[in-house]
Amino acid sequence: MTHRQGFLVLESGETYSGLWRGKEGMDRAGEVVFNTSHSGYEEMATDPSYFGQILVLTAPQQGNYGENDEWWESSKIWIEGFVCVEMQQSERETSWQNKLNKHGVPILCDIDTRQLVLLLRDRGTQMGALVMADSPGAAAEKAKTLIAAKKKIERDWAYMVSRKKEETRPGKNPRGPKIAVLDFGCKENTLRELVARASEVRIFPSRATAAEIRAYNPDGIMLSNGPGDPLDVEVATETVKDLLGWRFIFGICMGHQILGRAMGGKTYKLKFGHRGSNHPIKDSLLNRIYMTSQNHGYAVDQDSLPKSVQVTHVNLNDHTVAGIYDPSKKALSVQFHPESHPGPHDAAGLFDFFVRQTQ
Amino acid sequence: MPRKANLKKVVILGSGPIVIGQACEFDYSGTQACKALMKEGLEVILINSNPATIMTDPEIASRVYIEPLKVAYVEKILEKERPDAVIPTLGGQTALNLALDLDKAGILKRLNIELLGATPDVIRAAEDREKFRSILDTVGAKYPKSHMVRTFEQGLAVAEEIGFPLILRPNYTLGGGGGGVAYSMEEYKTKIAQGLHESPTSEVLVEESILGWQEFELEVMRDKAGTFVVICSIENFDPCGVHTGDSITVAPQQTLSDAAYQAMRDEAREIIEAVGVQTGGANIQFAVNPADGMRVVIEMNPRVSRSSALASKATGFPIAKIAALLAVGYELEELRNDITGTTPCCYEPALDYVVTKIPRFAFEKFPGTKDQLSTQMRSVGEVMGIGRTFKESFNKALVSLEKNEIGAPAVALDDSLLTFPNSKRVYHVFQAFRDGLSVADVVAKTQIHPWFLEQVEELVKTERDLATGELSDLRLREAKKRGFSDTAIAQARTIGGFKSTADEIRQLRWRNKILPAYLRVDTCAGEFKSETPYFYSTYHSIQEKIPFAKPMIALLGSGPNRIGQGVEFDYSCVRSVREFQRNGFKVAMINSNPETVSTDYDTSDALFFEPLVFENVLEILNFIQPKGFVAQLGGQTPINLAHRLVKAGQNLLGSTIESIDLAEDRGLFAKICTELNFKIPRSGMAANLEQALKISAQIDFPVICRPSYVLGGRRMEIVESEDELKAYFDRHGAAITVEAPCLMDQFLEQALEVDVDIVRGSDWSVIGGIIEHIEAAGVHSGDSMGVVPPQRLKEEACARIEDLSRRLADRLNVMGFLNLQLAVKDDEVYMLEANPRSSRSVPFIAKATGIPLVDLGVKGIIGLKRDQVKPEQYDWHKTKKVSVKGVVFPFKKFPDSDSILGPEMKSTGETMGRGDDYPEALLKAVIACDLQLPSEGEIFLSLREKDKNDLLPLIQELEGMGYRLSATQGTAGFLKSQGIDCEPIKKVHEGRPHCVDRIRSGQVAFVINTTSGRRSIEASFGIRRSCVDYSIPCITESDAAKAFVIALKKRLQGDFSVSSL
Repeated sequence: MTHRQGFLVLESGETYSGLWRGKEGMDRAGEVVFNTSHSGYEEMATDPSYFGQILVLTAPQQGNYGENDEWWESSKIWIEGFVCVEMQQSERETSWQNKLNKHGVPILCDIDTRQLVLLLRDRGTQMGALVMADSPGAAAEKAKTLIAAKKKIERDWAYMVSRKKEETRPGKNPRGPKIAVLDFGCKENTLRELVARASEVRIFPSRATAAEIRAYNPDGIMLSNGPGDPLDVEVATETVKDLLGWRFIFGICMGHQILGRAMGGKTYKLKFGHRGSNHPIKDSLLNRIYMTSQNHGYAVDQDSLPKSVQVTHVNLNDHTVAGIYDPSKKALSVQFHPESHPGPHDAAGLFDFFVRQTQ
Repeated sequence: MPRKANLKKVVILGSGPIVIGQACEFDYSGTQACKALMKEGLEVILINSNPATIMTDPEIASRVYIEPLKVAYVEKILEKERPDAVIPTLGGQTALNLALDLDKAGILKRLNIELLGATPDVIRAAEDREKFRSILDTVGAKYPKSHMVRTFEQGLAVAEEIGFPLILRPNYTLGGGGGGVAYSMEEYKTKIAQGLHESPTSEVLVEESILGWQEFELEVMRDKAGTFVVICSIENFDPCGVHTGDSITVAPQQTLSDAAYQAMRDEAREIIEAVGVQTGGANIQFAVNPADGMRVVIEMNPRVSRSSALASKATGFPIAKIAALLAVGYELEELRNDITGTTPCCYEPALDYVVTKIPRFAFEKFPGTKDQLSTQMRSVGEVMGIGRTFKESFNKALVSLEKNEIGAPAVALDDSLLTFPNSKRVYHVFQAFRDGLSVADVVAKTQIHPWFLEQVEELVKTERDLATGELSDLRLREAKKRGFSDTAIAQARTIGGFKSTADEIRQLRWRNKILPAYLRVDTCAGEFKSETPYFYSTYHSIQEKIPFAKPMIALLGSGPNRIGQGVEFDYSCVRSVREFQRNGFKVAMINSNPETVSTDYDTSDALFFEPLVFENVLEILNFIQPKGFVAQLGGQTPINLAHRLVKAGQNLLGSTIESIDLAEDRGLFAKICTELNFKIPRSGMAANLEQALKISAQIDFPVICRPSYVLGGRRMEIVESEDELKAYFDRHGAAITVEAPCLMDQFLEQALEVDVDIVRGSDWSVIGGIIEHIEAAGVHSGDSMGVVPPQRLKEEACARIEDLSRRLADRLNVMGFLNLQLAVKDDEVYMLEANPRSSRSVPFIAKATGIPLVDLGVKGIIGLKRDQVKPEQYDWHKTKKVSVKGVVFPFKKFPDSDSILGPEMKSTGETMGRGDDYPEALLKAVIACDLQLPSEGEIFLSLREKDKNDLLPLIQELEGMGYRLSATQGTAGFLKSQGIDCEPIKKVHEGRPHCVDRIRSGQVAFVINTTSGRRSIEASFGIRRSCVDYSIPCITESDAAKAFVIALKKRLQGDFSVSSL
């Protein structure tokens, strides 16, 4: 591969020059976020929560173990770009690099990701663009246009990534509950975890109404993960409000934020979010401390929650709310990803807890 | 929950002398634990027999007992101290086994002492093969299939069932004797028959081979609330078949998908739970079949291990410290991550760099042993390289080995060295790509994972690229990013026909502002702010200045452990830090050895985990702009760097380069000794045999011969006659030229040797003590036992030695440390050697005499005067206790190597025995070395002519003590003529059954075998080797024999005492 120059241009003006691994015309803009997970690049790239984002991995070497369609967490690659120090690029039949490129995703490597991460950490997440250009000046020009265009897209990102039609999957446990899933960008492994425990799982589009869900008469309701600002997600908060107390609800990530809002709480944007596989959570529901997979830019504001809501999960790194539980409303939600993929499986027991509550 | 309220006093068990497989990483873990628990306000009692360690420094614990790690001694200490608990998980296998023994003997129960960190049940569950396997079954984990075979026929059935290749492990044979790999039924039949024969219990474990599988290790921690974290994943570059201690390893793992990694992590947690580990660190090794991803568990250690030290340095997570705090009751959530200062300890470190560990070997010291790596560990030390990418870290680690400044220089590719794992294989892997082999070719030959080979291939491509065209700014920068040293770049350019030197590359680099950036090891890949000054260099970032507190000095460590340069030097380095700090200096430590205390992030004010080579050290010095650098504490490594650093404009603190040269240069040193009127052995230099014969006539036989420019006594031999001199030149003549002549010294036969460590300032000096060697001259000082205060030296001789030492230190104008070796023969004192630095014996002397020798050396280095130091308060003569240094050898790990002691150092570790008198100290030192002291049985003697009369009284004494005697014909004849009853036995060449048969049959309790002259040494090899294989004490020197008998007698008396420093 010839060495082509590429750039990551941040909205604030910083420009990082590196090696462009992609074709011409693959220039893309997105929110620049970093993830500290050591492995799981393919799971992350196909996680709809990364919609509209340029993914920077702090682990320097990516693509080491190739690619595999079985690791996909949805039906497409969502990230706008992939940034790392070094990408495996020697001759192999299949490679992560080729797969990203095949799906039109640009890669920028050989940049000082550590310095970039420290900047994002200190100044907060921001928009940026990955462009192929001959000079920093040309890159900045291209980036400006791309970022401006990106800012104009539809704000309800959950809707953009969600299924538009209901989908029903048979469960593997005939005596298990029927689960309705509100799809805000649901990861495959959430569905796998549910299918393993349920008799049937039906996945509803993000803007499904309470009536539609009631009509299915599920035993429990799952609110999935998804991208973007919960404030911008239309319909869902009302739907959940309506369903509160009817059937047990379990929310993950975006689902957690929607539940928080439905219960009267507020959400806010974190400076640079939590993205990684090593975040310690204190779970006072299961009475354990475990490592979790995380990927979120927003959080539920603890002080805004009504009295009946217990904060059952706390992020021990920064003491933000990581999970809430209201037995009276039959609702539990967590900010992290018990479905993992990537990340530790330590919190998978929450699915069991959920299923127990539905019976 | 905070710590257990009932705990007031805790005992920490150390790991004893440094041996292969259990080295100074346990000094690191024990020291960290002591510091942490002392800080908790606990009374910490430390027990370890190894004086070279930092943990046995009296400042580390409330009380330090340097006593044998044996039940009887530890029992006595426990009775005296009455602690609430013992922590056995920080001192390696030695401490765990000792804890089991204490438990089995009912001592813990009787004294109402709790075991913290691991209960006997847990230890047994992990150690007992059968138990562990049944636990693996309960969690559904797989392991290599195996069967204990007891008959040939059963063996055949087992082979049918498991399939080839098979690994054979005969039970209870020593040094892996009789074991091996069988690839076919034919090979297997021979090996199983042989194995059954060699095993004393006629049992051979036949195991499914996982050769060529990928090997991984997880370092995990658990607290009593059940919180489980993986601190570090480690992947082996070398596939299964090579002991993990001998493998190149990489952290974090690189080739597992998240799915595969998480499944491994889950299994590790289940195993920890099932084994019952309550708190602390543990490690689990896995193998993964690259063909289908099938995973098996190899083993688990319910304690802090060698890899824990590596994992701690690789991640910044202080495993041993946290393990100690968990053991006393804390939970991970309650403990702060020191590095970030804000987040808790219940997290898994995220790395934005790659770490590579490479072992360092010493096969050249053990001729006879084939340089091949297998399931038994052979390496004596290791280095770690940190880089942003594997390529950068790999190259840095290769340079850190201090073998050369290139990394992987060209070699003549040898297919067998590529195929069969050996200490030099890594160089042949590089060469394979230089010679045009493909990744697939090399995978086929080595079974190394293709990802690693792709990395090596890319490095070779860069190398090739460097050999062409203009060296542009961009290309130079790219090469530096890939970890190429300036020397390696210059070398590649030279191969391409360009004239280039490392200095030119450096100048070019500096002109183009291509400088290393120093990034922090922060445990969190930059997610949280960290101020902890633990740095590594990389060319992937732009250098940013970091303001360091001033005045700062840079302290050069000792690099990878090797025979002759080990933990003793780390002791000096670490102990000196505190003294520099007390005198108002900040200390920046530079070292590449992950096993050490010096590379702990809180030992110094700033830690640079970097290769100890000129380029990297110079860059650091330029970066931190210290007041100066200190080269006296880290052994020969920093001394060797001092010249170039001074030439490059850096300020050397303490003794000047001129002083160092006077001591190091043989010619200059001889001149000075003559000038001072000191006696020195007669010597000469010979470029050929003719000259050698002439010189030998002047200096008289025996002479010590050695080629120039060799380290650690390589090819050094005592030559006793003209014939032997001719034979010496026959063997080594090729290495002897006019430029590198053979050095010949008069050998002071039967002389008493001593070591002196002296420290000096401009107007004062302090003698640390005189160590009297127990063996006579001819045994390397590192290999000889020693005693303080001297037992045989006359007072006048001592006084004379002290006087000479002070005068020499004055003449050399030493500022800091000076180590001297002298010999006394016929009441004459000879000056043999001077080392202008802290020495191997410094920690021993400091602990034997209580004189803070390192602190005083630091005072000398920074130029304190007599009135500030008050040297008169330190008088080693006032020492009341007798201390004996015992020595531990690795011969067992090197099959077919000779255990005879000589001028080349072979020992890996030392012990210290302290007692009220010489016999007690001697006995303890010997016991701590794990030497068996038989109270009855047969003693086999094979003595050279000149020792016979000398040893006669000793033999009479042994006869009187009730031992049976047997001897070779000559010795037996002599003894009979002296009226001693003795059974004559055939020598090996005299037919069977001969003496080696006798030893191997288990009839002999111990052996005295003195010999000299190459032919006799070769002829008696079998005697010594069989003793090594069967753990029978074999004394090869007459003074050592006398000492051994003193210890035997003391043992029979039975009484002993224990005391703290």
